[in-house]
Formats: sequence, structure tokens, C-alpha cells
Amino acid sequence: MSTETLQDLPRSPGVWAQAWARLKNDRVGMVSLAVTVFFIGLVVLAQLGWVAKDWQKEVGTPFAAPHWVGKISDGSQTAVVDSIAGPNLDISDVDPLASRYKEWAERAAQFKATTIQKSDTLPLGGDQLGRDVLSKAIKGAQVSITVGLAAALAATLIGTVLGAIGGYFGGRVGDFLEWVYNVFTAIPYILLVFALAAVLKSGPLANTLGSGAWTVVIILSLVGWTGIYRLVRSEYMKHRSREYVRAAEAIGASHASRMFTHILPNISHVVLVQLSLHVVGFIKAEVILSFLGLGVPIDMVSWGTMLSEAQTELVQGKWWQLVAATVFMASFVTAFALLTDALRDALDPKLR
Amino acid sequence: MTPLISVQDLRVSFRMSKTQTVDAVRGISFDVPANSTVALVGESGSGKSVSAMSIVRLLPENALLADSSKVIYQGRDLLHDSQEEMRRLRGKDISVVFQEPMSSLNPVFTVGDQIAEVLRIHLNLSARQAQVRTLDLMNEVGIADAKQRLKSYPHELSGGQQQRVMIAMAIACEPKLLIADEPTTALDVTVQRQIMDLLASLQERQQMSILFISHDLGLVGEIADHVVVMRSGEVREAGTVEHIFNAPSDAYTQALLACRPRLDTRPRRLPVIDDIVNGRAMLTEQRVAAPLSSAALIEVKGLRKDYQLKEGLFKRSVFSAVKHADFALHKGRTLGVVGESGSGKTTLGMMLTRLTDASAGSIMFEGLDLAKLNAAQMRVYRSRIQIIFQNPYASLNPRFTVGQILTEPMRIHSIGKDEDERARLALSLLGKVGLTREDFGKYPHEFSGGQRQRIAIARCLSMRPEIIVCDESVSALDVSVQATVLNLLLDLQEEFGLTYLFISHDLAVVKYMADEILVMNQGEIVERGSAEDIYARPQHPYTQQLLGAIPRGLAAFV
Amino acid sequence: MFPYILRRVWQMVPTLLGVILLIFFLFKFFGGDPVEIMAGLKASPERIASLRAQLGLDKSVWEQLWVFVQQIFSFNWGKSWSTNEAVSDIFASRLPATLTIMVPILVLEVVLAIAAGLAVAYVRGSLTDRAIMIISTVALSISFLVYIIVGQFLFGFVLGWFPVQGWSNSVWTNLAIYAPLPVFLAVLVSLAPQTRLYRSFFLDEIGQDYVRTARAKGVSENAILLKHVLRNAMIPILTNVATGLPGVFIGSFLIEVFFSIPGLGREIVTAVNRSDYPVIQAATVYLAALTMVINLITDVLYKFVDPRVSLK
Repeated sequence: MSTETLQDLPRSPGVWAQAWARLKNDRVGMVSLAVTVFFIGLVVLAQLGWVAKDWQKEVGTPFAAPHWVGKISDGSQTAVVDSIAGPNLDISDVDPLASRYKEWAERAAQFKATTIQKSDTLPLGGDQLGRDVLSKAIKGAQVSITVGLAAALAATLIGTVLGAIGGYFGGRVGDFLEWVYNVFTAIPYILLVFALAAVLKSGPLANTLGSGAWTVVIILSLVGWTGIYRLVRSEYMKHRSREYVRAAEAIGASHASRMFTHILPNISHVVLVQLSLHVVGFIKAEVILSFLGLGVPIDMVSWGTMLSEAQTELVQGKWWQLVAATVFMASFVTAFALLTDALRDALDPKLR
Repeated sequence: MTPLISVQDLRVSFRMSKTQTVDAVRGISFDVPANSTVALVGESGSGKSVSAMSIVRLLPENALLADSSKVIYQGRDLLHDSQEEMRRLRGKDISVVFQEPMSSLNPVFTVGDQIAEVLRIHLNLSARQAQVRTLDLMNEVGIADAKQRLKSYPHELSGGQQQRVMIAMAIACEPKLLIADEPTTALDVTVQRQIMDLLASLQERQQMSILFISHDLGLVGEIADHVVVMRSGEVREAGTVEHIFNAPSDAYTQALLACRPRLDTRPRRLPVIDDIVNGRAMLTEQRVAAPLSSAALIEVKGLRKDYQLKEGLFKRSVFSAVKHADFALHKGRTLGVVGESGSGKTTLGMMLTRLTDASAGSIMFEGLDLAKLNAAQMRVYRSRIQIIFQNPYASLNPRFTVGQILTEPMRIHSIGKDEDERARLALSLLGKVGLTREDFGKYPHEFSGGQRQRIAIARCLSMRPEIIVCDESVSALDVSVQATVLNLLLDLQEEFGLTYLFISHDLAVVKYMADEILVMNQGEIVERGSAEDIYARPQHPYTQQLLGAIPRGLAAFV
Repeated sequence: MFPYILRRVWQMVPTLLGVILLIFFLFKFFGGDPVEIMAGLKASPERIASLRAQLGLDKSVWEQLWVFVQQIFSFNWGKSWSTNEAVSDIFASRLPATLTIMVPILVLEVVLAIAAGLAVAYVRGSLTDRAIMIISTVALSISFLVYIIVGQFLFGFVLGWFPVQGWSNSVWTNLAIYAPLPVFLAVLVSLAPQTRLYRSFFLDEIGQDYVRTARAKGVSENAILLKHVLRNAMIPILTNVATGLPGVFIGSFLIEVFFSIPGLGREIVTAVNRSDYPVIQAATVYLAALTMVINLITDVLYKFVDPRVSLK
């Protein structure tokens, strides 16, 4: 017998390598990938604080126009009222604090105050408080996309594990999981979201989770796992009676080995596509929840909060926040959706 | 006499992606005379179905026909007719019967409506008239209780009845040509016989032509007048059925005829295409079975498998897949199990390997009852009793490389001291089954059906088993490939002293491989005996029926 | 049929119980203290104690659960914590408005999706098909909110074709004046995803063997699409409609909020914002029960749509 080692032997490209090769040929897919990567890059930068950190600062005049529109000079921008000329009225005889002004003035002089020069135009315009819309859009992207991704990952994890167990074992365990599934799906999606939102808003958990978007992630993942569970379960049921799994049983492979080493790689492409679809769905859901005030807390910005402000602004003729939020969101979601389609085609070209 | 249909220089290819096309038919020509049966014979990938479907232009959307191709019918070229003209032709002048009747019938309409539909489109009959004619047709194709069956849905009928409905739809408007695309491949052998007889009688009565597509030369020999043999998109040989069967000139045709196990002789090894193409002489030395030892290797008594079915609100009924089975396996010999679908033969194999748990009975092996062992205890014995499944496309994990498939069992049973040694063992196994070193790193989809079955065999061998259950292991393979896999199984049996339980519905194959045979019907063993006895002197009526249904090709052939 | 229905109702019981348990314990252990919500943070101890007794919170958890179950089955769902209106009254008065909006939406959605889906399936593979798919992907990426905001602004504010908001007491006025804009916007938004979905139903059927048989019989492409394919596609379409039916009763809360329509959806959003637990709990449990009933009816209807289904 020769003394070859495993390394010497040739190896064909596996499923993922082949899918990548196919994806590279898909122009639409590659463009979508590029756009998605760009946005993810923005998200990471925003998370690290290198970009859009100061979105809350009021750097512009209220409703500052976008650069290309130019400064609006019809007077509707200025919130500052022209001051009346002349000295202040002397009311020191009735003013209880009059004696202390001099002291305070001296103390105040010791502090340095910076006044931000408020610009009249901003790259994509400003909102009612003069905050930079571009920064808000980027920060909003960070929040909305991270929430969407986190919720999708959580929902996929829950759904896949439960689906695998329920589909593979069947029997009592499967029945119990089916019951849980039935209970969750009997309640209409939106109602369950609202019920969870109501509870997490005012309950004891509200204090621990209050500062952050975690409530939204929890709500969405607790409601969204059911679709993935159903799919993974039916796939496991289909595969467990397939001959390659029976063959694995015949050679003596354990249950865990069959579930995760044998079957899981065969359905991982299905799970991946589901994950991507849920990311899109959850981003849209987060936007709506934030719009209603049930999503991210007030000190954070998301595309949803931008849209809720945009509603009133539109009537006053200020459209830039609406456009910015919509364009950012549409770009990412379209790119991601097209990427998902391209991925699906690359993974299984027979599915058309 | 001008032929009914003349196919000239037919070239068909399929567009697989933006850059790839695959040639399916590479310039074939043949004629179909009026009032005769022409058989188009070939294995999978030969292009026979594509050729036939081209005549009525029922090809998939990505099919490309060359401009030079012509199909002449009544003076016109069907390939260049308009869509509307073709539509009027289909079902009226030329009709088709497909392979899978269950999926070819519309599940939401009654069979009566579906037959009437073709009448109303082409013959402009009223609903009433169509119904009357439908009833006649159903009687003509031999559907019992035709009046009740008018209102039945396809899923309520058996496979044979569904195919009769398809045939009724096809002959409704008295077509000049009936294209039958593997019409009996999906049916049991006994039903196949009935359908073949029906087609033959209809051909005579209606004086129409039949273009019969099949992979089974023996079947075709019974009803064809002319035979066209195809391989890889080309015509290898064409001629009258006598010529093809008695004096074939092409090596491939000779190979197709010779590769099938014959009922009257049992050579040591089956001839394969490779042998015939290279002109090697066929072995005539008869195979000798291993001697029968007194002690059985495995003794099975009273094996039974019941399934519980729910009916209604509280009732439960019991369905017995296997009612009672007693048999013994002897070292180095092969026990064949033969039966149609639903006979329980597959369940028998499943119970022996403990992939299904028996409801009752014992499996005695080395003094232990295997049926009573729990999962952990059984694991030890798994390496000694292995199974090769029917479907080579489903029995290998698509995500594992061949190397992984072969080394996994070794790892589980602690064979080989490290990964490198296991890889070396796997390579030697590959060599044994006729594959190469390069195949170690490939994935199953890169192999053909026959090669995949070899990999499955290699997987079994990696555990050095004593007993192998071959569950319809060659049924899904082409005839020429079957012979190579059967030869391999025989080689291995000789070399390693393996014991086989060989399960199949194909009588000729079982007779060739097995020393003793069990005949099963509806869960019971209705007859048992040596291979010779069963075929020469069948006792049980079911066995006789099975033997009578075997296609005998041209009478002088078998 | 009757034994089947009986068995299904019997099977619904564990699920309904599960829903009741889930909602009860969710609000009990994760929700805020009802007393705190109702009385505010600065209530006196006497007020708190009396509220506790009133709400039955001084009893054990199991007794409270039993009371909850009793309330559900006797259709007495208590009073809203914010308005003190009986919850059943709230539902009864809000439902008509919701239905006036949602039923037209559902009907139009399905009809248009079938038509559009068939049309797109007819031109499958062509450039038109690709273009429509891309347009619908982009259309889907824009939030529903944007459509409503822009739609309201454009058609109501700028063009003045429809009132921006409002509702009346007469069904006919509502249908004629107040409903069209919201219905139009909702149907517009659902057109893209529904067409894609129905297109996939039709394409799945077109790829089946029985279509090949129909062609072999000489059936025209139109007849194949409209008779054979459509009839088979009714099975997944029925599933799709049934899945959307419970939504009809909740209503599109976004639409109701934007257009100030006094429907159930808006009521629930308000209840969430005000932590009005009885309203939310009752709505959840009852809609869950309704969903189960709809599922049962759908399964029975399958028998008429798919002859292969046998109800045992």
C-alpha cells in the first residue's frame, strides 16, 4: 500500500465554491452584492462612530435645504425672531433674582461656550431642528439594518433548531413543537407584535431593555421564527426518509450526526435564502414600528422615525427628509432583494 | 409506398445557460410506415424521447431545432408549420401517451371530462354526444364499470387504469399515428402485459401506426414491425424486427441484446458492451453456486410488519406489509426475493437491516436475535449486514465527496488508525469497484447512475460486511450498465465470500443472480425453491402469472 | 364530513388553551403592573388597594387565570383601562369601519392579482417579464408608509380628489368618498408582492405534466391557461386568501391611523400606546379563535377545490 496522505488527493469544488462561481457571472447579482457591501460598510463605520456620530447636533438652520436646491430665502427657514432694538427694561425692583445677576455673569464668563455657526444648506438638507439629514439617514441605516439582521439571525436560529428537531424526530417531541407553532400562528402576526410591544414597553423588562433597539429585535424574532420553522421542518421530514440518510443509519451514524452532518448541509441553501428574505421583511417591519413609536427609543434615529417626521414636513413643502429616507431604504432593500434572488439562482440553478 | 411520417436529419439541442448548449439529437433519419409499429429503442440519454416529441413539437422551451431538420407528414413539413396548424394536428392526426399516467392526467377534472375534452375540441361534438362517445372509448380500452368511472378523478384509479384513460384520450379521434413514450415503464409487470396486449389490438382495429419508445428491447420485440436503435443522439441500426433480433450488424445492438440476463442460460459473467464492441467472445461456462453448508448464517422466523392506519374519528385499521416470513441465508450464496410493488419484498430487506423494526418474529444470527437488540447493541452488528439501495441518485449524500462517503463508515467502526490510512483504504476500495484515484475528491453529481451504484457498493465494502441486501440495486440502471454492476457483485461475492439477499421485480435478473428464490405477493411468500425449479415448474398461480408476463421479445429470441 | 369537523374542533381546543395561557402569562409576568398603569405613580395606598381588589389582583394566579378563562367564554371582556368603555362595545362599534375598508381591499387584491399573474405568466421569459419583475422588486423596497404619505399628500392635499381624512356614519358615503383613497393605496402596494406570488403559482402549474398532455391533445394555449392552469392554481390561491382573511378583521392599522378611520386596527394601536391591557388581550384571544375557525372552513373548502383531498 502506498504512503499517500489525505492532502495529496485532488478535490472538486463544493457547493459554495460552485455557487460563488455562478454568482460571479450574474451581473445584476454582482452589482447588488456591491451595493449591499457598501451599505454594510456604512453600518460598520457608523457603529464604530467614525461616521454620522454627531447626527443629533443641530448644525443647520431649521429645514435647511439640500445643497443643490440652494438656500431658501423666503423667510420660512428662520426660527429666530428679529430682536427688538433698544435696552432692556429695568425691572430690578420687582425681580427677586436681580441681586444675583452680577455674580452669575462673572461665573459664566469663566466657561467657554461654542456657538455652532448654523449653515443654511446641508448635503441632503436638514430637518425641523436643523439636524443633518445625511447623517440621520446613515445613522438610521445603521439602526434599521442592524435590527433587521439581528432579528433575522435570531429568528432563523430558533426556527432552524426547532424545525430540525421537530422534523427529524417527529413523535411526541414533534407534536409538542407543532402545538407551540399552532399557538403562535393562531394569533395574527401584527397582533402578536403589538401584544409583545405593549408588554415590553411598560413591563419590568422595559427598564433593562429600555435603552436600545433590543425590544424590537426580541419582538420580531419571537414572531418571525414560525415561517422558518415550518420550512425547515418540512425539509427535515422530506430528507429523513431519503435513501442517503437511511444509508447513514445503515452504516451506524448517530442521530446527531444524521441531523447536522448529513441533512443540514443539504438544506443550508434554503435556510440562507429564508434568512435573507426575513432581513428585508424585518427592516420594513422595524421601520413601521418605529414610525408608530413602538420601535426604537426616542433618542435613536431610524428610517421609521425619519418618515414619521417627514409626514408633517411634507405638508409644509419640505420633502428632503422623506426622499433621503426613502432612497436610502429603497436602495438597500432592492439591492438585498436582488442579491437574494441571485443567490437563490446561484445555489440551485434548476429553480427558476 | 410513401411512409406516414418521414423524419429527415433531425437535430435538437438544449440551451442550458447563456453560454452552454447540449446536443440531444445529432442528425437522425427514420420513416414510420402507415399501419405498422415502429419501435425507437435506446438507453437513457439516447435522444429517443426527444426525437419522438419533435414530431409533434412538444419540446421544452429551451429546445433548439436545426433549420435543416424536416418531419414530413402528408406532404408538409411539421417542423415549419404554424403553431395553430400543429395544435389542430395534435390529438387528432397524431396523439401521445406518456410514461407517468398519474402526473400526466389533470388532477382536478374527472377522467370522463378529460376524454370528452379532446372529442369536443377536434370533432365539435356537443356535451351529450361527447359523453356517449367517451363511454364507448372507455369500454374499448377495457375499463371496468365505465359508467361509474366517468365521474372518477385520476387519483381514484390504479396505474393501469390511468394508462388506459390516457390511451382512450389518445385514440379518441382515430389518429393516424400514436406516439407511446415508455407507456409501461412505470407499471407492474402483469399490468404491463395487459397494456401491451391492448395497444397491439388497438393498432390492428384502428389500422393506425404506433411509434413505440422504450429502453426494453425484449418488450419491443413483441409488438414492433420495425426497430430503430439509438445511442447518444444517433441511429446505430434500423431494420425489421426479424433483422434486428436475428442478425444485428451493429456492435451496440448486439450488446443490448446480449447484456440482458437470459432465462435459459446462466453464464459465469454477463457480457457487457465493452466486451462486444471489442469483439471478445462471450463466456458460455455456466456459473456454479457456492456449496450449501448445513448451518444457516441467518435464520428468520415469523417476521411480520404491521402499520396502524387511522380511519374515521376513532377507528384504527391494521395494514400488514409483511404477514409472515420464514427463510434462511447461507454463506456465500444468494437468496432472491421476487414480487411486484406492494408485495413486501423491500420491507423484508429493511427489517433484516433493522432500518425498519419488525412487529413480530426473530432474526437469529450467531445465536443472537437481532430483532430484539437496542440501537447501541445493533450498532456493532451494522457493519456486518449492509444494504445497497435502489436509487443511485438518492443514496449518496450530495454534499459529501466520494472520499468522505467512504471514510465515514470506517470512522464509525474504528477501521484504520488515522485519516490517512482510511484514505488509502478508500482508494483501494475505489480500485476494486472500477473507479480511479481522481474520483476520491469528486461529488456524486459528477458521476453516472452506474458509477454511483459502484460507490454505494464500495461504501458497503468499507465495513467488510458478511451479508449484503441488494434492494432493487440495478433496477434504476440502464441495461448495459446493469450487466457491469451485476458482474461486479458476482466478482465481490467470489472474492469475499459474501452472502446476498437479492430483491427485485425483474424476474430475469433474479433468476440469473439467485441460487434460491422466494416469490412474494401481498406480504406473503407464496412459493420458494431453487432458481431452476421456480422457472421450469412454477406451482403457485401467482408465480405462473408472473412468468407469463415476462416479455419474450421475438418468439425465437428467448 | 361531520365527524371530520368534530375532530378538528376537538383538535383546536389545545391550541386555544395554549393561546389563552400564552396571553395570560405574557401579560401577567412580563407586562407592567396594572394598578401602576391605571392609577399612576402617585396614587395613595388606599386607592391602590381598592384597585387591586377591583381588578381581582389580590387573588392567586390560578384564580385569576380561571377568571380570565371565564371572561373569554362568556364574552365579557371587562372594561378598557383608559376609556372605561366595555371592551365588547369597543369591538362592536369599530368593526364595521374596518370591514368597510378591508373587504373591498381583499376582493380587489385577489381579482387584480389573478389577472396580473395570468398576464405575466403568459409572457413568461420575455423582456416584459424581466422588466416587470425588476420594477416590482424596486416597488417592494419602498415602505408602505411612503406610499401612504405621498399618496395622501398627492391625491388628497395637492390634487384634492379625495378627502385627506375622515369618516361618516353611512356605509354608502364611506364607500363612495372616504374609502376610495385608502383602498386604492393599499391595493396598489399589495399589487407587486401578490402578482409575484400568483405568478409563481401559475408558473408552477404550467410546468406540470398534465399541461404537456393538454398540449398533446391540441388544447389552445389560452384554454390551457384559463381552464387547466387556473383551476389547479385555485388550490394555492385559496390558501393565500385564507391566510389573509384574519387580517381583514384586524384591519390595516396603518391605513386607519393615517386616514383617521375609527376601526379596530387603530383602536389596538392606541391601546398599545396607552398600555390598555384588556383591549389587547381580548383582541388577541378572539382573533386567534377566529383564525382557527377560518382555517377549519378553509380545510373544508379544500374538498371542493381539490378532489384529491379526502376529509377523514
